[in-house]
Order: sequence, then C-alpha cells, then structure tokens
Amino acid sequence: MFVIKCPNCGERDLSEFSYGGEAHISRPEWRDEMSDTEWAEFVFMRTNPKGVFAERWNHAAGCRRWFNMLRNTATDDILAVYGMGEEPPEVTANLPATPSGEAAIGSGNDEAKVIDAGDAADGGGGA
Amino acid sequence: MADPTAPERRSPLAHRSPIAAERDAVRLAEIPFLTKHILRVDPEIGAAAVKSALGLDLPQEPLTSSRSNETACLWLGPDEWMIVGQDNGAAGLAKELAQEHFQLTDVSDYYTEVEVSGPRAREALMKLTTLDIHPRAFQAGQVAGSLFGHANAWLWLTGESDDDGPTFRLIVRWSMADYLWCLLAECGREWGMPEEQPVAGEALLQASAQSL
Ligand SMILES: [Zn+2]
Repeated sequence: MFVIKCPNCGERDLSEFSYGGEAHISRPEWRDEMSDTEWAEFVFMRTNPKGVFAERWNHAAGCRRWFNMLRNTATDDILAVYGMGEEPPEVTANLPATPSGEAAIGSGNDEAKVIDAGDAADGGGGA
Repeated sequence: MADPTAPERRSPLAHRSPIAAERDAVRLAEIPFLTKHILRVDPEIGAAAVKSALGLDLPQEPLTSSRSNETACLWLGPDEWMIVGQDNGAAGLAKELAQEHFQLTDVSDYYTEVEVSGPRAREALMKLTTLDIHPRAFQAGQVAGSLFGHANAWLWLTGESDDDGPTFRLIVRWSMADYLWCLLAECGREWGMPEEQPVAGEALLQASAQSL
C-alpha cells in the first residue's frame, strides 16, 4: 500500500486519492496583448523534476478536499502535506544516483540530477 | 381508494430481502427511504443552527457523528455534514439558517443505506476496503468515506455490542447499491451467507414497469 496522510482524515491508501498535477501554478492576469507563448507556458509547461515536487491531491473517496504535498519523485518519499494556498515548507530530500551513472530519464531539472553516487551525499541540488 | 396507476416508491434494493450467514455471523439488510440532507455551512454558524433546530451537536472533529433518537449528523468534510433520519428536521434547519450563507440539499433518493451487522461484520467488511476498521481505530459513532470494492460509500459504525458485534451502515449511491449488496454477500460466504446473483439493469426495469 502507498499511504498518503489526508490533512482531514489521516492515513489512507492511494486508491482513495486522485492526482491534481503540479501545485502553485497560478493563472496569469488577463491582458489583451497576451502571447500564445505565455498561455502555453501556463497551460502546458510543468517542471517534472527528479527530486522534490509540489503537487496537488484530492481525497476523492473520503472528505473530497484538496491539499498540497511535497513528494520526492526519485524515491516516492512524502516530505510534507500542507493546505491549499499555503507556502511549501522547507524540506531536504535524499537523491540516490541512477544506477548507470546517467542523468535521470525524464528529468528536466538539471540542478537536481545526480551523476555520481558521491554527489548524492551533498544534497544534489534539490528543487 | 388508492390510485392503482400511481407509481410505487421503490428503493434501489427493493428486489432484495434481508439475508444472514449461518448463526447470524453476518447479516445484511437495506434501510430504505431515510431522509438525508447534505449541509454545507461555516462550522460555527452551523453548530448554533443545528443545536437549536435539531438539538444535536454539529460534529467538528473529522470522522465523527452525533445522534439523537431519530436523527444523526455525520461529518463528511470540514464544512460538510449529512443529516439523516426518518424525519430529519431539515425544514426547521433551513428556517434557522435563512439569513446565513449555507446550502442544504435533499439527497434522500441519491443514497440508500445497507446495514451490515453481526459478530463477523468487521471481518466481512475488511475484505472490501483498505480503511482501518480494527476496533482500536474505528469505534462506535465514527464515519469514514472510502472505497468498498469499486463503490464509493460512507461507512458509519452505529453501535457495537459484546454478544452481537458491530452494526455498520454503508451509505451508498443508488446505482451502486446492488453491486455493493452482491459484493457484501460474497464477503460473508465463508460464514455461510447465501449467494446473491447480480440483477441486470433490464430485468430491474421490467420489474419496475410491471409493478406500475
Ligand atoms: Zn480526507
């Protein structure tokens, strides 16, 4: 079981939750001269890091409330759960090196990439 | 004389009779037609109104409930409750809240209740859900929303006795009720619960049409 701690209901299985994508992405204030690039940035572009990632979750089968969560995408460790509209707390994440020594696949966050196992010891960048 | 063409009120499990495992280890029964309302309101404002209209404490703690003889108030979310009972007093509550920002929705025909009771009721339910319903984690009066098989439902432990075990109620959506019933019967099979065959939608429609 992958257990998530809902701020209202406590620890529940992942199957009760639905995923809401990256957190803290706010809709840009509308302006007439807004470019497609700017809209595309808001609609499509996400950070997809290896490491600490802020994401939204909904306790769909329980209290049906949204909350934010910091998850280490490399290890699936849940680092923090906090309310909607709140700032993400400071956390530290363990970033294991990839076994082949290559950069993590799918990681768009070069700062978070760990090439050598030794790099992981000094934190490896984080988010 | 009653109008023979008047539609008959049918509960979603009208085609099921209460069933039990051997020596009543687990029992299933529908409790149909209870009046149910969803209340959404600021917790403080709601507490005062529910107290004066229904004489009940509005549960502020997550996963708890309050209850009088006739009516119960179940916590569903930080600003959301279900009020359930024969005549649950919702009209009086709406009057009490008239000047406030609130929502009170009649969901009586949206949900039905299935009572699961007996000394093995806990074990039977454990087969269906990831919820921790061990007695140390889930006690009388507690309410939790979860998945039971594929069905979303609210589980409410209304009471527990030493001889007869717990009495749970599952508050489940109309269209999922028959699915959940058959699944609960399956969970009781090891204690001799009779097998319940799912009824296809077409057969239900025909039964409904014939009853008119
Ligand atoms: Zn919850």
